[in-house]
Amino acid sequence: MTRSVWKGPFVDGYLLKKAEASRASGRHEVIKIWSRRSTILPQFVGLTFGVYNGQKHIPVMVTEEMVGHKFGEFSPTRTFYGHSSDRKAKRASAPAPSAAPAAS
Amino acid sequence: MSPRAQRICVAQIGAPHGVRGEVKLWPFTADPLAIKDYGPLETEDGAARIEIETLRAAKDHLVARLKGVYDRDAAARLTNTKLFVSRDRLPANTQDDEFYHADLIGLAVVDALGNALGQIAAIHNFGAGDLIEVKPMLGASTVLLPFNAAVVPVVDIAGQRIVVDAAAFAAAAAPASATEPKAS
Repeated sequence: MTRSVWKGPFVDGYLLKKAEASRASGRHEVIKIWSRRSTILPQFVGLTFGVYNGQKHIPVMVTEEMVGHKFGEFSPTRTFYGHSSDRKAKRASAPAPSAAPAAS
Repeated sequence: MSPRAQRICVAQIGAPHGVRGEVKLWPFTADPLAIKDYGPLETEDGAARIEIETLRAAKDHLVARLKGVYDRDAAARLTNTKLFVSRDRLPANTQDDEFYHADLIGLAVVDALGNALGQIAAIHNFGAGDLIEVKPMLGASTVLLPFNAAVVPVVDIAGQRIVVDAAAFAAAAAPASATEPKAS
């Protein structure tokens, strides 16, 4: 059963505080979190979270497309090492300077 | 280029399909059907060259007819054969900041001062951008870093090294506790 809309998205409280502190500091360090169940909110866009997968923190750079998904979706607990073959990796540009979160 | 990157595994032959010599083919290329564009492929030891005559998509794999393989017994002898191409046959990179995994894996990882930190072990993408997995000089556990210009300011393929932000590397290499530390 899906979550009732009137409740709003679930986010662990400490995560909001950490994100706010990171944004205020202006440094683009990885925010280590354990809450895989939390929903990605619009104010997290541009931040990089280290989402715990039971072994290590997987860096997750939040983009607009990821809003509404859970953090755990981007931090697999089982890793399949496939063949690199002709695949390419694209180096992303540096995260943009922090913007103030949208007023709610 | 590191010696292991000079030949790249692009596919693996699976079980025979039918009785007319077709085989299942498991491609590892970004575009599965592009495997045919590479022309003749080599086996792991380089002893045999295998050419794909026809190729079609099946449910979760490809079905290929190989040149010179026209019955099921011949197809069965090729089961689990890995197929390779030379790195030189991959198309040239057309965009800046795009790199073949094969070129990156094995590069030395150094900090801004040139101190060796480790070696790239793998490249991952779990849906939130590319990550580089670094095997550190010390310690068994690998370190995952986001592949962006802030953390990896320099990628020097010719020089066989990448430069990473030392602070980001140290933070990622710190041992992780299994639970969220309690706020005091």
